[in-house]
Amino acid sequence: MSKRNPADAIGRRSFLQGAAAASAALAAAAPAAAQAPVPPAVGKAAPAPDMVAETMPPPADPIQQSSSGADFMLEVLKALDFAYVTETPASTFRGLHEAIINYGMNKQPEMISCTHEEIAVAMAHGYAKIEGRPLLVLAQSTVGLQHASMALYNAFCDQVPVYMIVGNTVDATVRGLSFESAHSAIDPAVIVRDFVKWDDQPASLEHFAESAVRAYKIATTPPMAPVLLSVDSELQENPIADRAALRIPKLSRVAIPQGDSGAIADTAQQLVKAENPVIIVDRLARTPAGLTRLIELAETLQCPVVDIGGRLNFPTRHPLCHTGRSGAVISQADLILGLELNDFWGAVHAFGDRIVRRARSITRPNVRTISLGARDLYIKANYQDFQRYQDVDLAIAADGEESLPSLIDQVRRLLDADRRSAFEARGKRLAAAHNAMVEVWKSDATIGWDASPITLARLCAELYHQIKDDDWSLVGNGIRVTWPHRLWNFDQHYRWIGSSGGAGVGYNAPASLGAALANRKYGRLSVAIQGDGDLMMGPGTLWSAAHHQIPILYVMHNNRAWHQELMYVQAMANRHGRGLENAHIGTTITEPNIDFAMMAKSMGVYSEGPISDPKTLAPALTRALAVVRKGQPALIDAVVEPR
Amino acid sequence: MNRWVRFGAVAMGVGLLGLAAAPAVWALDTPKGDAANGQKMYLADGCYQCHGRVGQGGLMTGPAPILAQTRLPFAAFSRQVRNPVNDMPAYPQTLLSDKDLADIFAFLQALPGRRPLKEVPILND
Repeated sequence: MSKRNPADAIGRRSFLQGAAAASAALAAAAPAAAQAPVPPAVGKAAPAPDMVAETMPPPADPIQQSSSGADFMLEVLKALDFAYVTETPASTFRGLHEAIINYGMNKQPEMISCTHEEIAVAMAHGYAKIEGRPLLVLAQSTVGLQHASMALYNAFCDQVPVYMIVGNTVDATVRGLSFESAHSAIDPAVIVRDFVKWDDQPASLEHFAESAVRAYKIATTPPMAPVLLSVDSELQENPIADRAALRIPKLSRVAIPQGDSGAIADTAQQLVKAENPVIIVDRLARTPAGLTRLIELAETLQCPVVDIGGRLNFPTRHPLCHTGRSGAVISQADLILGLELNDFWGAVHAFGDRIVRRARSITRPNVRTISLGARDLYIKANYQDFQRYQDVDLAIAADGEESLPSLIDQVRRLLDADRRSAFEARGKRLAAAHNAMVEVWKSDATIGWDASPITLARLCAELYHQIKDDDWSLVGNGIRVTWPHRLWNFDQHYRWIGSSGGAGVGYNAPASLGAALANRKYGRLSVAIQGDGDLMMGPGTLWSAAHHQIPILYVMHNNRAWHQELMYVQAMANRHGRGLENAHIGTTITEPNIDFAMMAKSMGVYSEGPISDPKTLAPALTRALAVVRKGQPALIDAVVEPR
Repeated sequence: MNRWVRFGAVAMGVGLLGLAAAPAVWALDTPKGDAANGQKMYLADGCYQCHGRVGQGGLMTGPAPILAQTRLPFAAFSRQVRNPVNDMPAYPQTLLSDKDLADIFAFLQALPGRRPLKEVPILND
C-alpha cells in the first residue's frame, strides 16, 4: 500500500463541510436572482460560466487519497474467505463497493448484482446450504435492510448462516444530502435483531476487524444463524491513519458441542431396547457427513427414519426411509428420537384447522421421547418459530450431526446376537413396507397422466427422467410438491437443500439461484420447481441468473394463483356457507395471465411456454436442459394443476 | 409438521377410508348421477382446487386424497362432504344440492383413474 498523503487525513468530512458552505452561498444568492430576473437575451449568447471556478474544490481539500478504511475492511473479509458478495448498490457502502471491485479486483469475493436486497439475502441463504459456509451480503442500512428483513427471517428460522454488512452514516454532522439522513439510523439492526444471532456497529477499524471475525464465528457455530454488522460510511471512506497498527484476528477453530456422554449412553440403551423405535429428523445434515452418519445409525438399529426434509438427511429410496408412512410408524413407536427437530410437537400431533381448533397426540401413551439438537442452546422470545413445547423425556442440547458418532458407537457396544436378530427381522418388515409404498406412489402418479393442465406428478416424472443421469440438485421446490420425494432417488446431501424456514414467499427463486451458484463449481445440474407467486416477489432474480451466467433450470409450477391462500379463503367461505364465487378475488394471478417465458426472455434467460399440453413438456425440457448444461439459466413455464 | 410429513401421517388413514368397502356394498347405496353435470359442479364448487381436475389428489395443509374412481361408499362420501372429519371445508345443502353431490360422485366414478405402470415406463426410473 502506498504511503498516505498527510492531507488525506482531512477526509470527506471537510469536503462535505465545504460543499455545504457552497450550497448555503448558492441558497443565499437565489432570492436576489428571483427578485430581479434577467430576461433572456435575444440574439445574444448567455454569459459563459466560469468553469474553472465552478469545478475547483475548496483549495484546502484533498481530491485524492491513497488508502481507505474500506480497503482494510476488505482485507479482513478476504481473510474470512468469502467467495461471493451479493448486493444491491447503495450509497452507504459505496466505499466497500469500490474497494471490492478495484482494491480487491472483484475476486474472492466476487460481486453478484441483485435487483433487490431480499434476493441478495435469499441467494446467500441457498448458497450456504450447499456450500456449508456463508457468503457476504451488502445492503443499505435503513431501506436496504428493510427490504432484506424477510429473507433474513427465513434464514434465521432455517438455521442458516448469512453474513450481512450494512452501510450507515453515524455522525449526523457529515450527512450532507437529505437522503443521507434518511438512510442513516442510530441502531439500524434493531429491526432485525429478533432474528439475527448477533450484530454490532464497530467504531474503529480495529473494532471492525474483531467484530467481523467474531460475527463469522458466531454465524457458523451451530445453531447457525444470520449476523449483521453496521459499518459507518466515514469509517469505510476515510483514509487509514496507521495501517501498521491494524491487526486482523485469526478465525478460531470451534469445537462444536456434542451431547453429554451420559445422556448419549442412555439414549443408546433405549434405542437398542426399544421394539419400535423411530427417528424423526429435520435439519440434522449440516454437511454430507450428517447424511452418512444417519444412515449408519438407522442401519445399525434397522430403525425407520421420518425425514421432515429441512435438509436431505436420509436417502428417499433407502428401505428404512418411511417419511411417506410417518403416521403408521410414529403411531406404533415405543421410542421416538428427534434429531435437530424444530417442531417435535408437530411431528407427534395431528391438528385440525377447523372452527374449533383441536390437536391430538398420534403416539402411544407410553412412548418415550428424546430430542437431540442445538435448538435448545439458542432461542429467542418474540418470533414464535420455536413452535409448541413438547415435553420430551430427555432433551440433549447439542449439535446432532456432531453427536451421532458417539451415539452410533454406544449403540454398537450394546448389540448382542438376540438384538441383531430382532433388528434384522424388523429391517425386513420395514423394507417390504417401504417398497410397497413406492409402488403405490408410482401407480398414483399415473392418474391424469395425459391431462391438461399437466399434473404435478407428470411434471416431476418428466423432469426426473431427463436429469436422473446427471449429477443433479433440486435446489428449490416452492410449495414442497411431494412428488419429487416420492419418485426421485435423493441419495446425496446436495440433492435437496430444504425449504425457506420461515415460509416467507419470495425465497424459492433467489435461494435456488444461490444454491445453483454454489453448485456451479462442482458441475452439478441445478433444477428448481418454481411457484408463480414466489417468482413475482423477486422476478429480478432471473436477471442475476443471466448476468452472472449461473446454470439453473426453473420449471414453473404455474397455477396462476397464490393457491394456498385461495384454498384458505375457500375454507373460510364454506364456514359461512357463502359459496366460492368470490374466492378468486385477491388470491389468483390472472387477467392478465403472466407470460413468464416472455418475462424471462426479457432478462436474457432462455425460456419456453406457457406449456399446458403434457406431450409438449418433455421436448421443451430437453431443449432447456441443453442450455443449462452449457452453463446458462433457462425457464420452462408449465401451466399445471394447482396441487 | 410440514406438508410432506403430514402427507405421510394422514395418507394411511385416508387410504384405508378409501379402500375399505367392497364395490358390492357401495353399489347398493349409490344414486344414479349425471357425470357430465358432476364435472361442472366439481369444477364450479372448487373441489379440484385441492383434489385436482382429474381426481388425482393433492395437498392443502395436509393431503387431499385421490378421488378418481373412489371406492368410498356414497354414504361415506356424502358424510365427508357434508360434515368432514378433517380440514376439508364443509359443503352443506345450501352450497351443494343432493343431486349435484350425486352427480359429482358419478363424475368421480367415471374418471379414468390409475393406469398400468407398464404404460408409463418413465415412472420406473
